[in-house]
Amino acid sequence: MISLVRAELRKYFTTRLSWSMPLAMAVLGGLFAALQGLFLAVIGEFPGPDGSMIVPSEMFGEDVVARLVYTGGVQIGYLLALVLGILSMSGEFRHKTITATLLAAPRRGRLIAAKLASVAVIVAVNAVAFTLGSVVGGGLTLALGDVSLFPDLAGLLATFARMILVLVLWGLMGFGLGVLITNQVVALFVGVGVTLLVEPLLGFGLTFVERLADASKFFPSQASTSALDLFAGVDPGMAQSLGGAPDALSWGWGTLVLLGYAAFMAALGWLLTSRRDVA
Amino acid sequence: MTTPPAPSPSGTGISVRGLTKTFGSFTAVDDLSFEVAPARVTGFLGPNGAGKTTTLRMLLGLVRPTSGEALIGGRRYADLSAPMVTVGAALEATGFHPGRSGRNHLRVLAASHGIPDRRVDELLELVGIPAAARKKAGGYSMGMRQRLGLAAALLGDPDVLLLDEPANGLDPEGIRWMRGFMRHLAQEQGKTVLVSSHLLGEVEQTVEDVVIIANGRMARQGTIDELRGEPAVLVRVADPAGLAGVLQEAGLEVQPEDGGLRVSGADGARIGEAAHAAGHAVHELRPLRTDLERLFLELTESPEHRNRNLATGTEAA
Repeated sequence: MISLVRAELRKYFTTRLSWSMPLAMAVLGGLFAALQGLFLAVIGEFPGPDGSMIVPSEMFGEDVVARLVYTGGVQIGYLLALVLGILSMSGEFRHKTITATLLAAPRRGRLIAAKLASVAVIVAVNAVAFTLGSVVGGGLTLALGDVSLFPDLAGLLATFARMILVLVLWGLMGFGLGVLITNQVVALFVGVGVTLLVEPLLGFGLTFVERLADASKFFPSQASTSALDLFAGVDPGMAQSLGGAPDALSWGWGTLVLLGYAAFMAALGWLLTSRRDVA
Repeated sequence: MTTPPAPSPSGTGISVRGLTKTFGSFTAVDDLSFEVAPARVTGFLGPNGAGKTTTLRMLLGLVRPTSGEALIGGRRYADLSAPMVTVGAALEATGFHPGRSGRNHLRVLAASHGIPDRRVDELLELVGIPAAARKKAGGYSMGMRQRLGLAAALLGDPDVLLLDEPANGLDPEGIRWMRGFMRHLAQEQGKTVLVSSHLLGEVEQTVEDVVIIANGRMARQGTIDELRGEPAVLVRVADPAGLAGVLQEAGLEVQPEDGGLRVSGADGARIGEAAHAAGHAVHELRPLRTDLERLFLELTESPEHRNRNLATGTEAA
């Protein structure tokens, strides 16, 4: 089992993706965190609902501003993690390496387990690169805006750890999707499309259905925001205006919901894979 | 799972029993049964689309049989504890990640079985691509891919080798090399080799046993000598009846064929000399197709055995 995980890690580290992806993660994390910092710290004020100016660092406190800035790119981060997860399986079909892989690991349940473990490790490494990039990009703008860089170091470290966890969970969801849909292009299209388009539209639509209005907080993106515990210490109404869900899940529940999606898709993929003919 | 078990002195054979695979309404393999003897080279022959690849894929656990079983050393492939140590397979459709070097492709496979990287370099040396294998696989020629596939099959130093159309895409020099290599594996290393081909000539000089299938069904099996039958020669002279008498007196079996004589039991030199001694001018003297060649030609040319892969609505070879 350990040797199968090692083989999977070698697969990743012997292609260009092993350096291009962490690089993209760090750069994009930095850019989006800097963008968030530009609004929240450098410009540092925006008009509130009643016309008066809101200064985020005074209203929420510097620790919340730092948290929001450093996690400013988390959406792009978990999208890339999703892509990494998808590629682990669908890449095997795309390049027809699945035959060699299954000859080396004919017990498909074991192969899936080894791949799940390797995706977790690979995404964790990438998530660290993403976090480092975010800290550099976000820190730069926080410094420019004269906001404290690490007002609550312990709290921020916890946020970083949650961000890494959220990315890993998205990687596992992507893996499940890649097992379900072996066509790489279709899997990527569905994964990114659902996250960027279907989920927000569906969430918006559900706000008109009274009995389901709460459902959107269980959607992956909303659950991720909950799992990050982004709006801790922020007035719920204000959190909503910043993109949080009404009556959001606690961070523990958010994490469990993401884990549930990942487990469900991986299990379904496992079931299908064990019966699939590879010709 | 790293140390290979010592090969049993009797070697590892293959048995296929009542193997059947249907894809929808299409029967790719139909109640196929045969045995592959240990430490011998067996040719697995048949026209394109006869079901060879599907059979090999069932042996390797890639395709689930509809019924029947395919065992290697008495076990299913998926039940082998370290499969690459028991069985090495080079299948036709095996792909390589275009951005990964051939050497790294092998290192990935080696890691799955705890095989040291040193072995990877040894094998690249053995199949003759040590330098080229450090380049990305995207630019490999068919011959490179075949050699790399063979190296992958040999990684675990397995007792059994399954080679699917190994000569496809090789130049004549490569085909010669492949033949010599297969002989070396079976005769000097005692490996069991099952090699598929749609061309009899490609493997005829290498294999000891033959399994021929057509339309997913068994057509003929046996040792190559049995299936070849007795070699025969066609001789043409102005007076066939006269020469027939001379040859029959010499104890040879003679039958009229195609305006000349079909003579079995002697080679062309002896027949030519006999004809010369009896005063017959020889107009033509050539070896005839063996029974095996005739059978194979019949199978490949008959319309009912056309390549089913090309028909619409079919899914597998």
